[in-house]
Amino acid sequence: MARQQWADDDQLMAALAGAFRAERDVPPAFIEAAKAAFTWHSIDAELAALTFDSDTGAMAAAVRSEEASPRLVTFTATDLIIELEIGRDEIIGQIVPPQPGHVDACPASGASLTASIDGIGCFIIRPLPESPFRLHCHATSGVSVLTTWITL
Amino acid sequence: MEKVPGLGSARRMRGIPTPAARLRPTPGEGGTEMSDDSSVPTLVARAQDGDKQAWDAIVERYAPLIWAICRRYRLDRPDADDVGQSVWLRLVDQLPLIRDPAALPGWIATTTRRECGRLVSAPRRREVLGYAQDVAEMPDPSPGAADAEVLVAERNAVLREAVRQLPPRCQELIGLLIADPPVPYADISGKLRIPVGSIGPTRARCLERLRRYPAMAALISAGAFTAEVN
Repeated sequence: MARQQWADDDQLMAALAGAFRAERDVPPAFIEAAKAAFTWHSIDAELAALTFDSDTGAMAAAVRSEEASPRLVTFTATDLIIELEIGRDEIIGQIVPPQPGHVDACPASGASLTASIDGIGCFIIRPLPESPFRLHCHATSGVSVLTTWITL
Repeated sequence: MEKVPGLGSARRMRGIPTPAARLRPTPGEGGTEMSDDSSVPTLVARAQDGDKQAWDAIVERYAPLIWAICRRYRLDRPDADDVGQSVWLRLVDQLPLIRDPAALPGWIATTTRRECGRLVSAPRRREVLGYAQDVAEMPDPSPGAADAEVLVAERNAVLREAVRQLPPRCQELIGLLIADPPVPYADISGKLRIPVGSIGPTRARCLERLRRYPAMAALISAGAFTAEVN
């Protein structure tokens, strides 16, 4: 580390070289992926916050010791709660209050899977979407809710 | 580490051109006065309105910061890609909630470090990207103490944008002078068709112009001209 006097031409040049080197070091694909993330901005849905995850927090160690038990995750929005059981091959979900509709499982890149939500608010997504992914629930009541990202 | 007050507040920075080209001249620019269309707060506001170009400009400004943090944590490429993806996906979600764009770089750095730390301590552990930190209240991670990584990234961004608003000849000269491996003066003289003896004085004039660029001048007057460089 050296003190840079920007009044000094040589030192300013060194700072410029460093600034452009820092930019050059970034792989183009790293930039492109970041730019592509903006497609999620246009989705018109309320964001549902993660309110419970059996895989993190105090429960995590206990739950993880039992390999067979599915991971339980809850997302909460103003008018809708989404409860998920993430198993090895599928996701079983339910929305509360129970109502029909459909749900899109959207990976960060690639095509989404759609599953119908039955009259008591239940749905099954199979196979597991590519990680990370998020769910977009469309209830027939008109409620449109998007979960935060889920990584498997 | 020198505290750089001017850097703490991105809103006071002016004229951040879209770094679409690396050291290449930006068409239609070249004056010393920049419009305010590309300051960070304006970029954030435009991105909030769905302006993809503004988002791209934010990405190009801060991707080097995220990348540098990933390198410091010695993440391999797939892990660095994962960190970058989760930081940007989160930012897209949080974008509508941003009220203080000046806190954005600090939030990006903090979120990146947390993601890096998560991968280093528990590689490949599945988890939901919970939003523990609300971007609407993006706190300065260490109020009072300058975040060195963020300051260097912001200063580098200002240096790059300042170069990109220089006349094409200046940009070309500076690009050749900082090339790695170095370009001999004789080659620079040939490429730019100026005598070797004029390279030094031309460089001095270009740098003088660079220092007058408003965002640079703001940094210099804020005391950032003595900043630490790697």
